[in-house]
Amino acid sequence: MIFDFTTAALAAMACWSAGSLLSFFVRKTPALKLPAFLLSFAGTLVMVAFIASYWSMLDRPPLRTLGETRLWYAALIPLVGFLVEYRWKIAWLKYYCMGLASFFLVINLNHPDVFDKTLMPALQSPWFIPHVVVYLVGYVLLAASSVTAVHNVSLQLRSKSNANGESVSHYLALLGFVLLSFGLIFGALWAKEAWGHYWTWDPKETWAFLSWLAYLGYLHAYRYKIEKGKLQWYLALSFIVLLVCWFGVNYLPSAQNSVHTYTQS
Amino acid sequence: MGIVRRGWLQPPWEFREASLFTAIAVFFGFILQYAASGQGVPRLYLPVNAIVLGLFALLVLGIGLVFRENTTVKWFGGIPLGLCLIVAIAVLSLIGGVFPQGEVKPGSIWALLGLNQIFSSWPFALTVLLFLANLGISLSWKLVPFSFKNIQFILFHAGFWIALSCGIFGAPDLQRLVVPVDEGKEINLGYAMESNIPQKLPFSIFLKDFTLEEYPLQMFLYDPQIGQPIQERSKAPVLVHKGLKASWDGVDVEVLDLLPFALPDKDGRLHPADKTAGIPFVKVKITTPAGSKEEWITTGSPFVETRDAQVGDVYVGIRPGTPKAFRSVVTVKGDNGQQLNATLEVNHPIDFGGWKLYQMGYDEKAGRWSQLSLIEAIRDPWLPAVYLGFFMIMAGNLLFFWNGIKQKEVAS
Repeated sequence: MIFDFTTAALAAMACWSAGSLLSFFVRKTPALKLPAFLLSFAGTLVMVAFIASYWSMLDRPPLRTLGETRLWYAALIPLVGFLVEYRWKIAWLKYYCMGLASFFLVINLNHPDVFDKTLMPALQSPWFIPHVVVYLVGYVLLAASSVTAVHNVSLQLRSKSNANGESVSHYLALLGFVLLSFGLIFGALWAKEAWGHYWTWDPKETWAFLSWLAYLGYLHAYRYKIEKGKLQWYLALSFIVLLVCWFGVNYLPSAQNSVHTYTQS
Repeated sequence: MGIVRRGWLQPPWEFREASLFTAIAVFFGFILQYAASGQGVPRLYLPVNAIVLGLFALLVLGIGLVFRENTTVKWFGGIPLGLCLIVAIAVLSLIGGVFPQGEVKPGSIWALLGLNQIFSSWPFALTVLLFLANLGISLSWKLVPFSFKNIQFILFHAGFWIALSCGIFGAPDLQRLVVPVDEGKEINLGYAMESNIPQKLPFSIFLKDFTLEEYPLQMFLYDPQIGQPIQERSKAPVLVHKGLKASWDGVDVEVLDLLPFALPDKDGRLHPADKTAGIPFVKVKITTPAGSKEEWITTGSPFVETRDAQVGDVYVGIRPGTPKAFRSVVTVKGDNGQQLNATLEVNHPIDFGGWKLYQMGYDEKAGRWSQLSLIEAIRDPWLPAVYLGFFMIMAGNLLFFWNGIKQKEVAS
């Protein structure tokens, strides 16, 4: 490997902090905008480079354990922040995103992952990458949606109007829902090939279904003229279900027979 | 907004009535479950379940279309009831997602309410049935009169309706039988998961060869006192290769030589052997503060004893790597004379006469020497319908994604 995880994580976090710090002065000195962006972006590039070298060292995509998925999360979520700034001119989201990414790196620093190269036969499938990547990107978007919703709620409490922010959280949730649906169905199609049936109410499946229902409910509530302000609370809280599905399932009493517990690390 | 507050059950009905209705339905479901003394929903098989589902679909569409102006039917196919039923399905699934599902003591309140088998319980079945009715009625309004503007709605909702209804109504027709077959033998019997009574299959399976490929050997330090390998939680298994240097607290191990397939002769000298009989031997140099020594160790096999190297109170040992791939070379013969030669492997099932055959397992104690292959034979006549639903959902979702982006363009 070109560099070890600690170096990469610290370098990425240093880039993000320096970029964020520089961004604060952009309002006074607009010339700093590009360097600030490049510095923040460099943090993400460090993570991408680390994942690439880690992938080649493992001889398999680093998508198996929770720690490995956190790496992708740390690389991708700041990108959503940058894209939202570019698309909707909303600058604050990227700070949350870089903060969240750093949080995931800190978890990994505190719980060094098992560098296990082996991949059990059931995971050796062409479905492996699409299933996990679609979910990863979906979770990234929904995390950003939830963060935006929390921000919107805090603005509401201070009675500030914020229609733009509400449409951002909505579209992120919409895109996230589409990806969750794909992830769920890809998982079902893969399960049929690997385990013989597309749906067995495995705890992870049940929780994936629950998170899908949570966002399905949101989209219908949105359609049904429910006050948009209240729905920001809903979006902010929906992510908790997703977190249970992602990290929490392994710790629930129902997980004893799950085929997904190989992700425990 | 100055609207006079609507009383309970005063039209137009909305969320309050919908949540009351849903709560009553779930409660009634639990009563039914209790009354049936814990027995789940009766299982209907083909063609009865298909006929019942077809009639149900006609009924739902018919009600939706004939009474589309009726206020109660409007409410029944509306979003408030849909949302409440989604919440109810979510809450019931939550029970199944938190508490272990499966056998519990018969007669306990847990079993009587069906909480240990929530997904085949009355409350779940009733809620899903009502949800299908709600979804079906709203679908009927978008289907007639047909308009291309509604295609995304139709694909997603009809796809979900088809996948959910066929998955649930078709569940009893799913057959999963485990077929244990020994190398060089032929069998035409399969066993359901919970039963010891064999069922005859419409075909036989002959196992020509079973092979197991493993990842590299793993090395560990073993403490007989605690009865398990000493391993730091954050440390990966040590994969053995020539030249490997591994260390545990005060014990350094270097791999000097590695014979992947060898056997000892009468005097204990090692000779290369062929793949079927040979077992791995590893020459290790072990260094501790007390000194160093060199020794051959082996995983052992059903025919050769395991050999570990003792270091004070602990042992350095190796064990076979985790399975990388296992496959069975089989000949499948149908009762009608149809014949198929194939290799079964995890993730690569084969199709035979409406059945799918899966490589499921082997004799894990025997590992590489397993003579037994466990093959699972699965038949699910409802699968094409469920997949049709899946693909409709995905197509609807693609359009949803596309329209979402387009709306964004308009919004900005």
